[in-house]
Amino acid sequence: MLWRLWFIAPMVVALATVVLFPTVFLFWMSTQHWLVTDPDQFYVGAENFTRLLSAKDFWQSLRVTVAYLVLGTAIMLVIGLGLALSFANTKSGTLLRVMIVMPLIIPPVVAGFTWRFLLNGEIGFIGAFLLPAVGFEANLLADPKGALFSVVIADVWSRTPFMFLILLAALQGIPRDLYEAARVDGAGPVAQFIRITLPMLRGPLIVALLFRIIDAINTFELIYVMTKGGPGRATQVLSIFGWRTAFQELDFGQAASLGVVMLAITLVGALIMFRRFLRPAGQDA
Amino acid sequence: MDPTYDRGIAILRTTFLTIVGIFTIFPLVWLIIGSLKTRHDALALPPRLIFTPVFDAYNKILAGGILNAFANSLTIGLTNVALALAIGVPAAYALSRMRGAVQENLSFWVLSIRMAPLFSVILPLYVLFKSLGLLDTRFAVALAHLSLTLPLTVWLLMTYFRGLPTELDDAAMIDGASPLQTLLYVIVPISRPMIASVAVVVFIFSWNEFLLAFFLTSRDAQTVPVVVAGLAGTMSFDWPLIAAVSVCSMLPAFLFVGVAQRHIVAGLASGAIK
Repeated sequence: MLWRLWFIAPMVVALATVVLFPTVFLFWMSTQHWLVTDPDQFYVGAENFTRLLSAKDFWQSLRVTVAYLVLGTAIMLVIGLGLALSFANTKSGTLLRVMIVMPLIIPPVVAGFTWRFLLNGEIGFIGAFLLPAVGFEANLLADPKGALFSVVIADVWSRTPFMFLILLAALQGIPRDLYEAARVDGAGPVAQFIRITLPMLRGPLIVALLFRIIDAINTFELIYVMTKGGPGRATQVLSIFGWRTAFQELDFGQAASLGVVMLAITLVGALIMFRRFLRPAGQDA
Repeated sequence: MDPTYDRGIAILRTTFLTIVGIFTIFPLVWLIIGSLKTRHDALALPPRLIFTPVFDAYNKILAGGILNAFANSLTIGLTNVALALAIGVPAAYALSRMRGAVQENLSFWVLSIRMAPLFSVILPLYVLFKSLGLLDTRFAVALAHLSLTLPLTVWLLMTYFRGLPTELDDAAMIDGASPLQTLLYVIVPISRPMIASVAVVVFIFSWNEFLLAFFLTSRDAQTVPVVVAGLAGTMSFDWPLIAAVSVCSMLPAFLFVGVAQRHIVAGLASGAIK
């Protein structure tokens, strides 16, 4: 029996070092007056949090993060579901399927650069050639709305395959006889989709959405490479705001309190998910 | 079923796939084309589709300090794979042979780590590695990447080991093998294909990872993604050079797309789907 402990111990130690200890340390940091430029470091209680929650920049970043998350996820859902339905009942098109998945496994920083290269208002194939050719002259990346839309498009490009593959696996797991039975009962394709397909996709969709939230909270390099959070603060998501606070304003205490808030946001999302969906699924595993 | 309806669906499907296919593939093709242009050609408007391909940008990579970033990424990725497997395989095996509350809570803990936003561990890790004098070293980045790849390894392998019949373990134990021998001489050999796939996915995660590598390095240990961001942040863009580095950074993805495709979603959503 004891051998199991020995097998698990290294993992616990490793995760404690790189995750558990840093998390505890983060909470402590968030209670400190900790400016890199100031040698004095001392306990300030919740001051970092009150300062954070009264900072306009924080709420602006939260709004941008939510807009980025909602807009991107909505487009991904539509394209991902379309792709999953297109590939669910066929063995053909393997090459196309592989190509469509490619953006998911290349570095996100490359996704960001590729789209900046395409959308650039001076040399980009889309930004400087295609769009002006159809009479659209605005420089997307320099315009607040345009920049947000641009990073969303790049995000859609790089993350839709994830949605697609989750939904594809879910579609392929729906028993065929459900559709047979529905057909015998006289249900048409639309009725079958609404009554069988959509309800069966509910669980996987919620899983996919949760991972989208985590993904959006973690988004950094895609935006860093494309706009650095600009123009102004138009594409400054939470993690970019955190990077500015920590490494430009050098306010580690404030940045740590943001880290705690981000942790809380994901935790709430994860808990809701686990309660409702993971436990039942885990029991039959 | 109604044949006109079927036809309509087929046309809709083809149109949709064509649009999405172009949307997905064109940026990659354009990036590759861009990496083969001279700086002058890359800046030309309207964009030049016909041009003499040159390998200037690739030669610059081979000549300059950028090669070091590839060495860094490779070393960090391989170190990370070695650590993740050495620590993760025994843990996954033990967890797969446990039942009850302890097992459930432990696996839940491992899974929940995947949920934590990276930004929350970065500042503490930065302070920690700084005080240890490990900032800007390959080892620090490889270690930090464990926060991402170790939970992934454990989850993928635990699920897999659970599917192996326990009669295998019993037979080995009856023959007098210790648990470690059972793992090394029975379980690992028959799981080799799965372990290899996990190694590939872990390597790609580490190779692609940006945030930790960006915060924990400044010059010597910079990985390829960090260098791409650095080049893209300078004022004098060398578009073909950045494109060329980007193309090279996609090599693992191109090489392993088949393996990665099967496991990457399970990896990304570790535990949440089967």
